[in-house]
Amino acid sequence: MIFSTSNIKKSFTTGEVSEEILKGVDLSLVEGEITALVGSSGSGKSTLLTIAAGLQPASGGEIHFDGEDLTAMNQEQIRQIRAEAFGFVFQSAHLVPFLTAEEQLLLMLETAGSPLSKKQRCGEAARILQSVGMGHRKTAYPASLSGGEKQRVAIARAIVHQPKLLFADEPTASLDSTKSREVMELLQQLTKTLNIATLMVTHEEDMLAYADRVITMKDGRLA
Amino acid sequence: MNLAWKEMKKSKTKFVILGSIVFLISLLTFIISGLANGLSQDNAALIKNLPDGTIYMETAAEETHALSVIDTETEQPVLSENDGAFAFSIQMGFLLNEQDEQQSVAFVTSTSSAEFPEVAKGEIILDRSLEEDGIQKGDRFTNSQLDDKFTVAGFSDGAKYSHAPVAFIHPDDYAEMYRTEDLQMLFVPKAAEPEAIAGLQSFSTEEFLNTLPSYSAEQLSLSMIVWFLVVISGMLFAIFFYMMNIQKLGLYGILKAIGVKTGALFRMIWVQMLVITAIALILSIAVSQVFATLAPGDMPFYLPIGITLQLSAVFFAIGFAGATLSGFQIRKAQPLQAIQQGEG
Ligand SMILES: Nc1ncnc2c1ncn2[C@@H]1O[C@H](COP(=O)(O)OP(=O)(O)O)[C@@H](O)[C@H]1O
Ligand SMILES: [Mg+2]
Repeated sequence: MIFSTSNIKKSFTTGEVSEEILKGVDLSLVEGEITALVGSSGSGKSTLLTIAAGLQPASGGEIHFDGEDLTAMNQEQIRQIRAEAFGFVFQSAHLVPFLTAEEQLLLMLETAGSPLSKKQRCGEAARILQSVGMGHRKTAYPASLSGGEKQRVAIARAIVHQPKLLFADEPTASLDSTKSREVMELLQQLTKTLNIATLMVTHEEDMLAYADRVITMKDGRLA
Repeated sequence: MNLAWKEMKKSKTKFVILGSIVFLISLLTFIISGLANGLSQDNAALIKNLPDGTIYMETAAEETHALSVIDTETEQPVLSENDGAFAFSIQMGFLLNEQDEQQSVAFVTSTSSAEFPEVAKGEIILDRSLEEDGIQKGDRFTNSQLDDKFTVAGFSDGAKYSHAPVAFIHPDDYAEMYRTEDLQMLFVPKAAEPEAIAGLQSFSTEEFLNTLPSYSAEQLSLSMIVWFLVVISGMLFAIFFYMMNIQKLGLYGILKAIGVKTGALFRMIWVQMLVITAIALILSIAVSQVFATLAPGDMPFYLPIGITLQLSAVFFAIGFAGATLSGFQIRKAQPLQAIQQGEG
């Protein structure tokens, strides 16, 4: 098991009121598997995903990744782990508007401190874009891509540096059902072939068919 | 990857607009400072062209050189003890040509000196600007306070005082015109430490210029305009990058989420600021230098490249500060918020 959390807690304080959103969550992710996280809106799915990904601190508990405890690390160490070992796909593609599809991937490789040469990086970016079906739009800017195409580029960016973990928060929420299925097939295939441990938040029943495991969030705990 | 450059290439218009504004403001700054220097030259070239040194006038004159009188007992030892020291006087007055036309001048006389030209009795040496006005060597002028006539013996460069051309005259003629054998001031070239002389007050050339009421008032208002423009351009940078950063907070959040260092984002806006400022400044330096050569002769405009470069350095510093200040938003950009906003 490459990733696990134990007894993660998170409270938000708004004014005088403090609310505990996560009440002790134990989650584990397995390489080559998609773990789907479901639950009603506001149940704390995104909160758990972002804490797991080191994007916000937990109020308590531990996060184990590759034998290390993320909660004990400083900001810079966490940033480095995110850059090198994590990939992110969000509800919207969130591409950099002034970079071409290929450059989005090159930026990720650079950020991850890839050991590849410049030429090799270009080759790798081209190969990955090809594998998500975007090989023909290498030089296109985000503004000229459709929603589905953008999401494919975003997925390519999320995996081009061969991360160990992929975090996807409602990756198909902004797509129609055909496009959603295509994206899910892509995520499933990449999870298997690259042996990534994927955590995917979704509230769409249809998408659960692509998951290896489904866990439900309820009242701040996993059911 | 050169994010800065990629963005500038993609959003050319935005950056061209910022660049043009910086260009126009810096050009205006250069031109105004050229005018300020031109006026200052016109007002005081005679004094500004002196080497580093000390000017003495009578303490009792209370910083008004026209009231200062330096008697021979004080003057003699100073002149004999200091190489290159001399005594001099400046009086505003006018010359009349043979058609009885009046020309305002500043009469200057001095004991023998390396700085001011040697003039024979009855002769006069004028500032070069009068030669450009058509006065020639050998022309004769009168003055109501002098019985004899002055004959123009030659011209001298950069001899302007109080916006009037200087007329160098012989001390005897000066004595006759102003009914005094004593001169007003002493000049002693740079000594390690300006020597105190009893009854006299010492001034650096800069301090002396500031005793001239018109000079300090003129320079103060012009340099105020120059500094306002510099500050405005700094604020412009801050505001421009602030607005751009506000639009890009989401993007910064995402980039931070995927692991891009905050420093890399700062570098991005610094590079953009540097490139825009450099291009804008090179253009406005070029244009202002061309302006300097094309400016009409009677327009006092003087813009040495050194001053332009100094101002350019200030522009860079202030642009850098402005961009950095607005960059603190990058530090605040939260990956989380950006992710949860569903745009892009
Ligand atoms: N930064 C925050 N400050 C205060 N409350 C928050 C914050 N982030 C999330 N919450 C609250 O936590 C709860 C869970 O949010 P979230 O994890 O986004 O739910 P989900 O993704 O399951 O819909 C919600 O009630 C939300 O309002
Ligand atoms: Mg959510």
